[in-house]
Amino acid sequence: MGEVIVVTSGKGGVGKTTTTANIGTGLAALGHKVVLVDADIGLRNLDVVLGLENRIVYDIVDATSGNCRLRQAIIRDKHLEGLHLLPAAQTKDKTAVSTDQMEELCDELKREFEYVLVDCPAGIEQGFKNAIAGADKSIVVTTPEVSAVRDADRIIGLLEAAELRDPKLVINRLRVRMVKAGDMMSIDDMLDILAIDLLGVVPEDDQVVISTNKGEPVVVDEKSLSGQAYRNIVKRIKGEDVPLMDMDNDSGLITTLRRLIGLK
Amino acid sequence: MHGGNNENENIFEIEEQAAAEIETLFDENTILVQRTLRSGQRISYEGNIVVLGEVNPGAELIATGDVIVMGSLRGVVHAGASGNVRSVVVAFKLQPTQLRIANHITRAPDEEVFATNLPEIARLKNGVVTIETFNSEWQGK
Ligand SMILES: Nc1ncnc2c1ncn2[C@@H]1O[C@H](COP(=O)(O)OP(=O)(O)OP(=O)(O)O)[C@@H](O)[C@H]1O
Ligand SMILES: [Mg+2]
Repeated sequence: MGEVIVVTSGKGGVGKTTTTANIGTGLAALGHKVVLVDADIGLRNLDVVLGLENRIVYDIVDATSGNCRLRQAIIRDKHLEGLHLLPAAQTKDKTAVSTDQMEELCDELKREFEYVLVDCPAGIEQGFKNAIAGADKSIVVTTPEVSAVRDADRIIGLLEAAELRDPKLVINRLRVRMVKAGDMMSIDDMLDILAIDLLGVVPEDDQVVISTNKGEPVVVDEKSLSGQAYRNIVKRIKGEDVPLMDMDNDSGLITTLRRLIGLK
Repeated sequence: MHGGNNENENIFEIEEQAAAEIETLFDENTILVQRTLRSGQRISYEGNIVVLGEVNPGAELIATGDVIVMGSLRGVVHAGASGNVRSVVVAFKLQPTQLRIANHITRAPDEEVFATNLPEIARLKNGVVTIETFNSEWQGK
């Protein structure tokens, strides 16, 4: 029996879809059987990020309303054998699936897949309630901004109220230079308020945007820092103890030289 | 809280005249909140509130009596919400977004302030909300 993990945030645009796509791809790359569920109904995204848009015939609403069999709505990834997607419907709204239907759907999926990752819509309304309905575990994504952290805190409260205990935190788009200059919240500042386990920290990285536009999540990019961050997150989800990586871009040759000659 | 029926009003009169210790004996109900209050969560209570946890930004505590937070208080807090000017707010780390006692409102200064590591108490003194380090000499004065 697999597990259902929902990826939430509260505030929009902080990186839920990016996180879902990368964790799912990362797990599949390690040989796991994974399905990504796009619960952001009405604003389809996950298929685009994975480059699967042109393969969609049926969607989540078709599957839950009996328009097609679940099997028919699930799309296989073009690169990774273990990766699958249940796309959102583009033309319906968030009330097109009920919490009961979502629970049933998740139960059915986890019988077949090791990991079921649900990409949650922004906000705290029906779409959020649906997305978390069948979840066993949850991930909360935030960026180092006061408003995003505030919304993450609200979401954590709602997850706890829904008995989804022990959510894990992903801090996205961290800019080490800005944190050092005191212009951005630090990891400690965020953990001080949110007080949940840290699953990982992903740096701000142009490579994320470039890979998203190519439909190939950055986690498979061996060279990028953000790819490494996502691979670490994947390992931690599997229960491995991986230390936080050093994201300090300044720790390169120049800085080392400067330190040696006493400039810093 | 006080008021409503006559019995309560009598108690309140005695309280007014009696020494501070007696006031605490006659004091209202207290609830113990054994968790952290997160953004969007709110507790409002006719009596005192004691929180064993944090009160995060965006959370609200409203009590007709006193409020004690055994952690960081960063949300909005209102003590003496139905007018009791003797109500106090005590917290291990007192950094509220906004602090109200009875009908007096203060907010954190907009610039960064010196943060102490000692528990602090907020109360009304001559109609002004005053914040001081809390120590055991404070006896409900
Ligand atoms: N670490 C990063 N570095 C740079 N850009 C990023 C990073 N993470 C996400 N982005 C970009 O931020 C944008 C928003 O990301 P994404 O769509 O994953 O957010 P979301 O939380 O799913 O948004 P929504 O709430 O609209 O569903 C995208 O353009 C994405 O490429
Ligand atoms: Mg999204």
